[in-house]
Amino acid sequence: MRKAYGFIVLGVVLLLVGSYVGLFVAPAEEYMGQVQRIMYVHVPTAWNWMLAVLFAFGSSIAFLFTANTKWDARQEAGLEVATLFAFLLCCQGSIWAKPTWGVWWDWDPRLTSVAVLLFAFLGILALRQFVDDPQRRAVWSAVATIIASVDLPIVYYSVKWWNSLHQQQSNPNTVSSQFHLPLRVNAFGVLFLMIGFIMLRTRLANYRLAREMAMPPVVSADQAGELA
Amino acid sequence: MTGGVVVGGWGFVIAAYTVTAIGFLIYGVMLITKLRDEQSRAAADGDKQ
Repeated sequence: MRKAYGFIVLGVVLLLVGSYVGLFVAPAEEYMGQVQRIMYVHVPTAWNWMLAVLFAFGSSIAFLFTANTKWDARQEAGLEVATLFAFLLCCQGSIWAKPTWGVWWDWDPRLTSVAVLLFAFLGILALRQFVDDPQRRAVWSAVATIIASVDLPIVYYSVKWWNSLHQQQSNPNTVSSQFHLPLRVNAFGVLFLMIGFIMLRTRLANYRLAREMAMPPVVSADQAGELA
Repeated sequence: MTGGVVVGGWGFVIAAYTVTAIGFLIYGVMLITKLRDEQSRAAADGDKQ
């Protein structure tokens, strides 16, 4: 638990430093002006969202191979954190799109593929709420996560495969060196925050799972009659 | 926009950073609150047994 809180504190400190540099020290971009500063939160959120999706995907595969419920808890944590990040990604993207593209949203391949994964993960989280049997829930959810994660390479390559409105991937090779520092500091800030969140959420899932396992089995009316 | 250059826009920048901060803050607080509830529940169950 202390480790998780440590990661969160470290993440917050890095985000404060990175955002300060991004907002007040780094120069404005030539064409986008001040609006480009949104990149310092949007791009780190995007990178770490992809990592969270990969974590949920990896945990799903690990669960199907081992049937260890610890992997199911990790998968649930990865799913939820990835959903939060995807939601924030869409909000930040919309706010950036309005002054640069003139619209809040466009059915561009990159935006659409992110939205598809966001709703797929929301659906899987809803599915987990409706299935009472922990074993069945874990298997269904793992299979659904693996299927949904097929969308991740589409998200990544969408800007290369289609000549879309969204710009190419932002990385140190595609942005000016003056923008590297706040981008990197915030990327690590969001990474540590994500690790802390996943650790706490995994712990929460493990507590709930332990409580479910400890519950007495549900007895139907017929079985209750037989027992009596 | 003038001549392909975005003028101003600090309001959008502040909105994006605020949404991100609020998102992380609400999720973090919700997570810690739920975890503490579960921990106290587990401790209470342990006491009963």
